[in-house]
Amino acid sequence: MRGFGAFLRKEVSEIVRTWRIWVLPGIVLFFALSGPVLARFQAELIATLLPAGESGLTIQVSEPTFADAYVQWTKNLSQIVLFAVIIMFGGMISGEKRSGTAVLVLTKPLSRAAFVVAKFVSYAGLLVVAVIVGALLTWGETYAIFGEAPFTQIAEATVVWLVFALLFVALMELFSAALDSQAGAAGLGFLIWILLGTGALWGPLFRYSPAGLISAPNALILGQAEPLMWPILVSVVLTLVCLLASVAVFRRREL
Amino acid sequence: MNSAIEIAALTKVYGEKRALDGVDLQVPEGSVFGFLGPNGAGKTTTLRILTGLARPTAGTARVFGRDVVGATNEVRADIGFLPDVPGFYPWMTATEFLRFAGALFGIGKSELDARVDALVELAGLTGVTTKLGGYSRGMRQRLGVAQALINAPKLLMLDEPTSALDPIGRKEVLDMIESLGGRTTVFFSTHILSDVERVCDTVAILHEGRVVTQAPIDELKARYGTTKLVVEVTEAADEFAERFGRQAWVSEIERLDDGALVLTVSDIELARTAVPAMVAERGVGLRRLESGEVSLEEVFVDLVGGDS
Repeated sequence: MRGFGAFLRKEVSEIVRTWRIWVLPGIVLFFALSGPVLARFQAELIATLLPAGESGLTIQVSEPTFADAYVQWTKNLSQIVLFAVIIMFGGMISGEKRSGTAVLVLTKPLSRAAFVVAKFVSYAGLLVVAVIVGALLTWGETYAIFGEAPFTQIAEATVVWLVFALLFVALMELFSAALDSQAGAAGLGFLIWILLGTGALWGPLFRYSPAGLISAPNALILGQAEPLMWPILVSVVLTLVCLLASVAVFRRREL
Repeated sequence: MNSAIEIAALTKVYGEKRALDGVDLQVPEGSVFGFLGPNGAGKTTTLRILTGLARPTAGTARVFGRDVVGATNEVRADIGFLPDVPGFYPWMTATEFLRFAGALFGIGKSELDARVDALVELAGLTGVTTKLGGYSRGMRQRLGVAQALINAPKLLMLDEPTSALDPIGRKEVLDMIESLGGRTTVFFSTHILSDVERVCDTVAILHEGRVVTQAPIDELKARYGTTKLVVEVTEAADEFAERFGRQAWVSEIERLDDGALVLTVSDIELARTAVPAMVAERGVGLRRLESGEVSLEEVFVDLVGGDS
């Protein structure tokens, strides 16, 4: 894969020197830092929403713990951060095609396989680094607020979510290689997410497909996780398949 | 002479439209080759196939003897390419982009440093630290030519490098191309005839997906120039204009500012004997009788039917 190193360096520079360094890491870090605080003051926040002493309604909120902070983290990862990935990464390849830069670089000794793999490595790297930093911040802040923050639980939940998210990075790259429209690729990404979420209601799909990973981070925090070997294994295999499919699809596309 | 580009029966179909319809073309090594045609003739499609960006429906295209279908890095290592609208990363500077382009070719650091300096100077961008997103169209085109030269290519392919440029930007880009003459093969697509006349030594004219002619420019002009005859008589030019106009072998007569007549004739040999005979019969002197100069524009309009 001649040209891979040079193109990967360009990708990393592009992330560091453009809006990309601010948006996804910004979202991740915001929720990483706000989660433990929200968990700590959850009861007080709910109380402010109720008319004082008029309704006769009493809501009992248990004393918040580190688990509440961790659940805030995994819930935000599973929804907002994943949505950001789907929207932002929908233009991974089509963006370069649209701007004409793909034509300039792919008429040099850079293979389309190297182009696709470098894109995956850089975008996946951005996500992994941002999420690991976010997890460490949540862990540290949770410990500071609650005095208790088991590392293994947040680490396991974060790693499991990353396995699921990397599948979506590969999926978005495949859609972006196949479609010129970033919105179209994002639409397909959301469709897959909805299908997996719905499919998780069916036992076999939950046990043997990435559908089993959707709720797994929360379940790991709450100690309710089902065996995850098959969903993780199938997700990793599907990620590789999507990456290979992206290369195959992009090779066939005319620029 | 070896061919840098050999195209045979190249066909490209998009749905119902035949963008290329059996194109045959040979570009000699070392030439500055003008690939001329009206908008929509198929020039960009040909270049996209040659650079591996598109696949032909039928036919073959070879660069230095190697098939471009599924063009490998070895083929691309020998070419430099400037698309009609080059896309640059707006966050880079010219120097950064040239270094990046050179790195894709695997050029070593010291050699790359020297080439980047030389090309920045060639592009007239020395000292410009603006990000590429802030470049004018002319600056982008000049940088586009420079990046296409980063690998010292054996073949430089330029797609409409001067279109949409103002006269100064156009002159700058043409000067750059002209300066490459003799150093590398240049394959240069355009619909601007004067650009071709200025920098190219050989030309092919593409029309509706077919090559209608291919020849060195001088040969092409000479070939079509043989249908023009300039006649200057000592007196009675108007009378001769009328008399020549009645001849079956004269299709058109034009008066020049100096009073000479330019006859467009169907049989040049007949005209060369008949004109002096008619002038002598009238007892008038013949001051000038010579083949007429024909411009590339006239050849082009004649070949493509004036619908460019």
